[in-house]
Amino acid sequence: MAEMAVNAMNGLAAAVLLSAVLLMAIGRMRTLVSAFALQSLSLGLLAAVVGYTTGYMHMFVVAVITIGVKALLIPSILNSVMQRIGVSKEVEPSLRAPSSLLISAGMVVLGYYVAQPLIEKSGSVTAGALAVSLAVVLIGLFIMISRRKAITQVVALLVTENGIFMAAISLGYGMPLIVELGVSFDVLVAVLIMGVLVFRINQTFDSLDTSFLRRLRD
Amino acid sequence: MPMLEFLFIFLQTLTLLALAPLIIGVIRKTKAVLQSRKGPPLLQPYYDLIKLFHKGSVISKDASWMTTIAPLACLISMVVAALLVPAFLTTTAGFMGDLIVLVYLFANMRFFMALAALDAGSTFGGMGSSREMMVSALIEPAILLAFFSIALLTGTTSLSIASGLIVDSGAELIGPTLILAFSAFIIALLAENSRIPFDNPATHLELTMTHEGMLLEYSGRDLALMEYASMIKLMLFMTIAWNAFLPWGIATELRMGSLLIGAGLFLLKVFLLAVIIALIESSMAKMRLFRQPSLLAGAFVLAFLAVVSYFVLEAM
Repeated sequence: MAEMAVNAMNGLAAAVLLSAVLLMAIGRMRTLVSAFALQSLSLGLLAAVVGYTTGYMHMFVVAVITIGVKALLIPSILNSVMQRIGVSKEVEPSLRAPSSLLISAGMVVLGYYVAQPLIEKSGSVTAGALAVSLAVVLIGLFIMISRRKAITQVVALLVTENGIFMAAISLGYGMPLIVELGVSFDVLVAVLIMGVLVFRINQTFDSLDTSFLRRLRD
Repeated sequence: MPMLEFLFIFLQTLTLLALAPLIIGVIRKTKAVLQSRKGPPLLQPYYDLIKLFHKGSVISKDASWMTTIAPLACLISMVVAALLVPAFLTTTAGFMGDLIVLVYLFANMRFFMALAALDAGSTFGGMGSSREMMVSALIEPAILLAFFSIALLTGTTSLSIASGLIVDSGAELIGPTLILAFSAFIIALLAENSRIPFDNPATHLELTMTHEGMLLEYSGRDLALMEYASMIKLMLFMTIAWNAFLPWGIATELRMGSLLIGAGLFLLKVFLLAVIIALIESSMAKMRLFRQPSLLAGAFVLAFLAVVSYFVLEAM
């Protein structure tokens, strides 16, 4: 039974990594948001499986909150912001997809390399997921610097947050429930504020390209 | 090797060869239903092949012997490949060749197809073969890496032994390696068989075509051989996708019960994948040619990560 749960965890970790690589390749904003929702869904399921194996009941609450906030609420907020602004749906990366995919492969190798000694030392069942979570954090950071539009950068920030959350799950079976709740609420509020910010950027520059922000003078 | 095993190997290969047109029929029918059309009957690919076999073929006077032998060469490579792929039983003619031979049998078919398309000197043929070569040059590393991750997991490059080992190990091997390699292989399946994000299998008259462009010079019996070889290729890719990466249910020994389960599950899996391909094709538009390398690079990255994941997560 425990073996089955480890398989499920590995499979879900693979799903998170897969959607992170997918996020790197996607060229449409709407698909980007749904790929992020998919990633959060697999992360929530991962939390539930970890809760099931370790017997920490609060992980189930965390799983429900993750799925509710990150897989349902935030994608719908992002979609409604996009609908209201009505910008073009292309992502416009500053690097082309093939090269950014190859770079992301390098990031994953780096994440694995850094995590290797930690995996060997720790005896936790989820140690394999740690390597994946470091890779997801790195990919999220790379997406953030390689995209020009504000909304894609918001999604990249959320991906980075997902990676950190996964690291917390895989290292110490999650943070205390109150911290978890605070983080989820923080992310939600951050997305709301960023939604307003994106709206304002669009109003001022008639575009979501953040490179226009360099022209700001007092 | 006992006689009975030989019998089943041939039976398995014959099943693959016989079912190949039916799979195309299933894909077309599913697409038609999704577009609320009635669609051609399920067996239409068989009728088409029979009709074409009864017609003579016209060969351009500028064409050399390459045009004549290419259809046979393509069909023979596919039939040999079919001998190596386990469908409902893990015993195959695997002593003749392993995963790497399989990759190069597919490459052999492509080689002859591209040469034959260049042979008659029509513009579409040259265009089609140059496009096909671009796609295949980019997808081949991905396929090889996906196969290597299977070889790493099981410690063998023989497809039948590998799939037997994965079945015996239970669900233990499901992990990042297998899942990433499987998803890379599915993208490779679509690219290699000219399905929709890469090429539209239904067009004959557009500049967007890749695969069909290479077959424009062919007619009658030669065309039927070419078409049949492509159908077998799709069937083989679908079988490999299931039985190399997720082979659970396949029969590992010659017993009546497990053979029946193996055969039933095999049919179910292949039809499921056919429906999934039809769903992908009806929900997507064909990609522009110059956008295709990004998806192909995606497949390569996934396969590469599968191999790397093996070394980090599973080889401890």
